[in-house]
Amino acid sequence: MAQKHRIPRETTPQTPQAAKTSTTATAPTAAQTTPIVSKQAAAAAKQQINSWDQVVRNLTNYYVDSTPQRTKLIDAFMAFLVVVGALQFLYCVLAGNYPFNAFLSGFSATVGQFVLTASLRIQTNEANKSDFPSVSPERAFADFVACSLILHFFCVNFIN
Amino acid sequence: MRSLLSVLLVVFVAVVSAISTTGDRLLVILEDVADKASYSTFLGDLESRGFKIAFETPKSESLSLFHLGERAYDHVIFFPTKSKGLGPNLTPQILLQFINAKGNILLTLSSGTVAPTSFVSLLAELDIQLPVDRTGLVVDHFSYDSASAADLHDVLLLPAPENLRRDVKNFFGAAESDDEVIAFPRGVGAALGSGELLTPILRAPRTAYSYNPKEQAEVVDDLFGAGEQLALVSAFQGRNSARFTLVGSAEMLQDKWFDAKVKAVGGKSATVQTFNRKFAKQVSGWTFQEIGVVRVNWIEHHLNEAGASNESNPAIYRIKNDVAYTISLSEWSWSSWTAFKVPANDELQLEFSMLSPLHRLHLKLDPAQSSPEAAAYTVSFKAPDQHGIFNFKVNYKRPFLTNVEEKNTVSVRHMAHDEWPRSFVISGAWPWIAGIGATVTGWVAFCGLWMYSASPDKKLAIKKTQ
Amino acid sequence: MSANSVQVLANAGKGESTRTLLRVIILLLIAGAAIASRLFSVIRFESIIHEFDPWFNFRATRYLVAHGFYKFWDWFDDRTWHPLGRVTGGTLYPGLMVTSGAIYHALRALTIPVDIRNICVLLAPAFSGLTAYAAYLLTNEMTPSPSAGLLAAAFMGIAPGYISRSVAGSYDNEAIAIFLLVFTFYLWIKALKQGSMLWGALCALFYGYMVASWGGYAFITCLLPLHAFVLICMGRYSTRLYVSYTTWYALGTLASMQIPFVGFLPVKTSEHMPALGIFGFLQLLAFLDYVRSAIPSRQYQTFLWLFASGTFGLGLLVLVVATSAGVIAPWSGRFYSLWDTGYAKIHIPIIASVSEHQPTAWPAFFFDLNMLIWLFPAGVYLCFQQLADEHVFIVVYALFGSYFAGVMVRLMLTLTPVVCVAAAIAISNVLDTYLDARSPNPEDHQVDDVSDGTAKKAAKSGLKSTSKPVVGVYSTVSKSIVATAMTAYLLLFVLHCTWVTSNAYSSPSVVLASRLPDGSQHIIDDYREAYQWLRQNTREDAKIMSWWDYGYQIGGMADRPTLVDNNTWNNTHIATVGKAMSSREEVSYPIMRQHEVDYVLVVFGGLLGYSGDDINKFLWMVRIAEGIWPDEVKEREFFTPRGEYKVDADATETMKNSLMYKMSYYNYQSLFPPGQAQDRVRGVRLPDVGPTLNVLDEAFTSENWIIRIYKVKDLDNLGRDHASAAAFERGHKKKKANKKRVARLLRVD
Repeated sequence: MAQKHRIPRETTPQTPQAAKTSTTATAPTAAQTTPIVSKQAAAAAKQQINSWDQVVRNLTNYYVDSTPQRTKLIDAFMAFLVVVGALQFLYCVLAGNYPFNAFLSGFSATVGQFVLTASLRIQTNEANKSDFPSVSPERAFADFVACSLILHFFCVNFIN
Repeated sequence: MRSLLSVLLVVFVAVVSAISTTGDRLLVILEDVADKASYSTFLGDLESRGFKIAFETPKSESLSLFHLGERAYDHVIFFPTKSKGLGPNLTPQILLQFINAKGNILLTLSSGTVAPTSFVSLLAELDIQLPVDRTGLVVDHFSYDSASAADLHDVLLLPAPENLRRDVKNFFGAAESDDEVIAFPRGVGAALGSGELLTPILRAPRTAYSYNPKEQAEVVDDLFGAGEQLALVSAFQGRNSARFTLVGSAEMLQDKWFDAKVKAVGGKSATVQTFNRKFAKQVSGWTFQEIGVVRVNWIEHHLNEAGASNESNPAIYRIKNDVAYTISLSEWSWSSWTAFKVPANDELQLEFSMLSPLHRLHLKLDPAQSSPEAAAYTVSFKAPDQHGIFNFKVNYKRPFLTNVEEKNTVSVRHMAHDEWPRSFVISGAWPWIAGIGATVTGWVAFCGLWMYSASPDKKLAIKKTQ
Repeated sequence: MSANSVQVLANAGKGESTRTLLRVIILLLIAGAAIASRLFSVIRFESIIHEFDPWFNFRATRYLVAHGFYKFWDWFDDRTWHPLGRVTGGTLYPGLMVTSGAIYHALRALTIPVDIRNICVLLAPAFSGLTAYAAYLLTNEMTPSPSAGLLAAAFMGIAPGYISRSVAGSYDNEAIAIFLLVFTFYLWIKALKQGSMLWGALCALFYGYMVASWGGYAFITCLLPLHAFVLICMGRYSTRLYVSYTTWYALGTLASMQIPFVGFLPVKTSEHMPALGIFGFLQLLAFLDYVRSAIPSRQYQTFLWLFASGTFGLGLLVLVVATSAGVIAPWSGRFYSLWDTGYAKIHIPIIASVSEHQPTAWPAFFFDLNMLIWLFPAGVYLCFQQLADEHVFIVVYALFGSYFAGVMVRLMLTLTPVVCVAAAIAISNVLDTYLDARSPNPEDHQVDDVSDGTAKKAAKSGLKSTSKPVVGVYSTVSKSIVATAMTAYLLLFVLHCTWVTSNAYSSPSVVLASRLPDGSQHIIDDYREAYQWLRQNTREDAKIMSWWDYGYQIGGMADRPTLVDNNTWNNTHIATVGKAMSSREEVSYPIMRQHEVDYVLVVFGGLLGYSGDDINKFLWMVRIAEGIWPDEVKEREFFTPRGEYKVDADATETMKNSLMYKMSYYNYQSLFPPGQAQDRVRGVRLPDVGPTLNVLDEAFTSENWIIRIYKVKDLDNLGRDHASAAAFERGHKKKKANKKRVARLLRVD
């Protein structure tokens, strides 16, 4: 049994690893950090940029070093949601929000899912253990599934 | 033999069916019942058309227009009476009540007698004014009958009335030739108010005027009326289609004027037979609802959409539904119901209204649903994008025709929650549906991965931290 | 009873299970008391729906039960707001009807055939029992003291402020909404304390239920973000807050948007923007929090500054653009009137005219809450002493609720729960101190007990300050005095509540009660008499015009279409009715014709001295009509030159010619001997010659003249105007005097 579990565990990191760079860039709102990264490449001499460079590098290091595998899985999912949400929003801005209920349910499904996933991430984080005396990771995941189901039900109902 | 039979049949048919649409009980009120002899042709014509005539005098005790609160007669003719008042049985209130109860009145006046006060106040209510002192004489110094009134000029000769308006059918015109002449001897002219319920049938010529013969002044000052403002025969039709006709000269209905030959002043031909008998028939026929009666046979409206239920007259429609409306109309013409034809210059209109009409549409003749007895008019349209309680309204009121005012109430409801286009029908919504799809699939995949990697990973993580 | 329960609890019940059993029994008793005290009206009068709005709810429920849920959802009501109709299914809060429908069908399934009317009548008392339980749960989250929860439940059960809207027969949205309000708050506190998604989701679901039930849901929508905001400002941001708030918001907003009436409002109107703002803000905070844990503090400073200013600029830009583009609707009028109590009176008379939208008079607080109102600050103070997250909630709720209760009478209802909770905390604190101190070593016990429970320094010090000055407090005398005093207060409170409930809040207002000289009760049943008359003597689709107050009742009891009703969604339509009532007959008649009015109904209290009649409401009709037709209806003209509102001989011509005046006083003087006609509401003597009515016929006047119904005449058959037709009927002759002088109008056709 243990063997069987080990093999998929080897494969799972593939997804987070592949998505890792994009995770750090997108987890903060995408508009904020991407220009900064490009700026850093252009003019590294300036003090300001230097500190930014440091901040970003620190963040990346911290992330890579101290994030458990499963949390990275969550991050990957969140990144995916951010991309999906951004695409929907972009489409709304470009093409108008004609069936407004469709836009709302589509977009809020993504946002809601993102928030729920973030909550799951917070609750399963070892560092936050003290904040949640009554929530075990299993419980957190069960909650997460229940809430997500409610969310999906509402969204599908609302989009008609 | 055959011709005799057919004549008999015609007479029989005429007797049986040539009755007014509202009833055949006719009351004639005269000063003296013996006076009826002078109107014998007129009354005989009426009788032959199927009316059952009763005669009374105004002062009679037994005279009562109502019996137990219901009309005792359907129609009343008043011939001139000498008395100033008409007694307690014919107060203006009772006469008005009679009209309100859909009774028809033919009132005749004469310049020889003073109109009773009862009539004057009744006429005042109808917005018809008689000359001051309740009597007057219409004279015309240019078109009088030179045979009988060469000096007094008080027998007017008038052509048969022309069409009142271009969009109104003429019920009183002469049939063939122009030189049909109506003699109007010693009559009273009345001035009509401007209400739409009043219509002049016969107006005085431009050169006629009215004066009080009892005033012996040389010069007529303070003229009551002149020219076409003087109505010699006028018609009033109440909102309930009860009819009231004022004939200024009772004499013109008498036998002698029916057969009289008259000679117009400066006329080409010597003498002409008067048109009076036919005109009397037309006027009395109109008053007693033998002509110009329009009947609504049926009204039908339904959903006019493919695949929808074809239920008749549903109580509720939806906004932007296609709706078809049909109304079937017949007109009573002396003896039978005929298809009602809207005059060429007129339109029958349907209003679809809530507070004010949101649609006003032209109803067109639908030959498929029409027959010789009834004409069906139809229109189909799209209900407005406004919910509410609407009326299909046909409001066709024309002079000389009974009022057609039909109102059918329907509700127009909003779109039900399942009648909107679904999101997947709208192409614009696809990206967002895809968004939900992506989120849900992503979530399922995530859950799967999570479950798969759950416990061992956690243990490992704990070990690592330790 | 509540005092007893506390004593019983204090004396008996050592073991845990005994305590639980006792608690259950006490809660059941409280629920029983809550229900029982609301049954006064049923016992006094009968099982009848009260007032105005409940009649609509009742009618809607009957429709739901008869036609099923989907038909109800798509219900187009063509019997109100004639001829506009009302998209009822999409413009109501269906929670109440669906709840009673569900109960009805459940009982049916259990083969208990209950009339839907009885369910509707008894729904509010039943839910008040649940509210008491919810208050118990909420209070238990606040304080470790077991008695506080029970006290809160008892207070909640019998506080007149809540009873006023939940007596049997008061089948209104608030009947279930207050339960949902309290329960949602409980779930929110629970979610916040545990930082649990599931509790947050439950909170969102009940929030959704609340949205489906009452327009007052905006109170929650604003209060929860405010609470979160205050916590953040106090530097108490925690991951728990993030989890509970975001879960609640994401799910709750979606849930609320499922209600057709609410629809897109949560993303479009300003009322909902604080919640959205806090939601976004929390995302930022969570991200910053994460970053802070990741990098050294000096770098974090720079990061924070740039990030914060960037976000702020972006947010401001979005807000400006969105508002100027009209994406976000400005605050609605009702909300403006919450900030500026004078606003509504000037700009939206329709809102100001509703009696329950008036600012609260201060005695109302004491009347509705009695001693709770002075215990309330004490309870809030105690919350300050402890000031955990949940206590902040109580404090915020208390401030928010007090303000709104002061602005609008109706919102007393939202204040009542927090007053009950706070007062219960205060009383239980006093009782705990003085009753528990009977034990041999009071000091240790006291301090231990409290510090165990709260584990808060502040609480300890707070209690110490009361227990330090040992001198008199621990003596048996002072203890017994305080205990007796409290018991007396509690008993007085119960007495007051019972008295208020039985005297002030149990009148159905459809049926009036009066006392005969010999003291026996006399029922004045004019309303139902008139509605029954309408039901039996008019066509099924006869349109009734009346002031909007009676719209729901006419629809419910007489089952006749009305022009306007208590769902005051269309100001113009109401103004039209106001104009018809306040104009001359000749002006009113075309309006009534256009709206196909068959009967006009007015309420007149002059004979009986019933002050809630239409003449007293008349100025509102005038004002509302003036808002739309300022040139045709002028309020000033209804006042005498000396600025008085008079109905007697001094009344202005405009007043005397108005349709409302004529309808009210038509034939009234014939009741009295000449010269003695008197209006007992206004206390004035009326002129001997009463008004004449030309366009209306008196159709019905009820026994005590409270309701008068007039039939609108048809157009005159002969095309006359009604005045001359009526004059002719009376036997007047047409005036001929000026006929000669005035040139006659010539016919042109």
